[in-house]
Amino acid sequence: GDNRSAAKGLTDLVAYKNVNDVVPPKGLNQLMIQIDQRNEAVLLPIYGSMIPFHVATIRTVSSQQDTNRNCYIRIMFNVPGTPFSPHDANSLKNLGSIYLKEVSFRSKDPRHISEVVQAIKGLRRQVVSRESLIAEKAT
Amino acid sequence: LWTKCKLTRCVICGMQNPGQLKIFSGGILWKKQGGGKAVEVDKADIVGVTWMKVPKTNQLSVQIKDGLYYKFIGFRDQDVTSLTNYFQNTCGLTPAEKQLSVSGRNWGEVDLSGNMLTFLVDSKQAFEVSLADVSQTQLQGKNDVILEFHVDDTTGANEKDSLMEISFHIPNSNTQFVGDESHP
Repeated sequence: GDNRSAAKGLTDLVAYKNVNDVVPPKGLNQLMIQIDQRNEAVLLPIYGSMIPFHVATIRTVSSQQDTNRNCYIRIMFNVPGTPFSPHDANSLKNLGSIYLKEVSFRSKDPRHISEVVQAIKGLRRQVVSRESLIAEKAT
Repeated sequence: LWTKCKLTRCVICGMQNPGQLKIFSGGILWKKQGGGKAVEVDKADIVGVTWMKVPKTNQLSVQIKDGLYYKFIGFRDQDVTSLTNYFQNTCGLTPAEKQLSVSGRNWGEVDLSGNMLTFLVDSKQAFEVSLADVSQTQLQGKNDVILEFHVDDTTGANEKDSLMEISFHIPNSNTQFVGDESHP
């Protein structure tokens, strides 16, 4: 059952409950950006580990390619003070917190990066529309 | 004595490398598979060891005198027990235990210890980065701190995407780093 209520909102979504639940589709040792659709998580390779972020924490994702066939991806997270940030309603609760705002990666594989960008955008859209439906029903 | 070689992965310059770890009375020796980079730590230089349960395995962090950390991944639960005893008996060190946050949130606290910057969510470690790998830090506006990382062209075989930049937003409501010159 879905026990998420409107009062909880986007910022209360949790990617994984237990450490051993973290199973990226391509494995933990493949240090590349991976998407776990089932857990609505984006896994990022940071300092040799795969680090999960719930897709609801992500605000935008974009990519670009330079003349040397290097590909770059930039992921911006929700932080307070940005328009339509779900944090503003909760900012009292998170008073004193520091936010991860942005991460950029360089990739050797442009095709993989464009797949990642599409997957994050699609998953984010899906989660945001589901949560706003739940919020609508509750009011 | 815990002297057998153990297959582990060592994090060097932010990348995982497979290799063999040997923990013996003189300290720690790790050799990269197929030769190349080796990590040697003298017992006398170890100031702290930490265990953390990570997905499917255990991770050992070894802090040495100059503030550097070495991170080894790939220990079974029984290795943790035997190595904990070994560190206590041989080095007189009681390993600390850390917990990993997998909730996927992007807000929490930042902790600085030696060369390591740790991002904590609900007082558990969400991720860490080594400040030794940071090439430049920038302050953007009043509230944002940007860390730029060295990107090595000879990245590990299993690393496809390399972290280039990370930034933190410190709202005005946060008082932890007000007037703290040492903050990156």
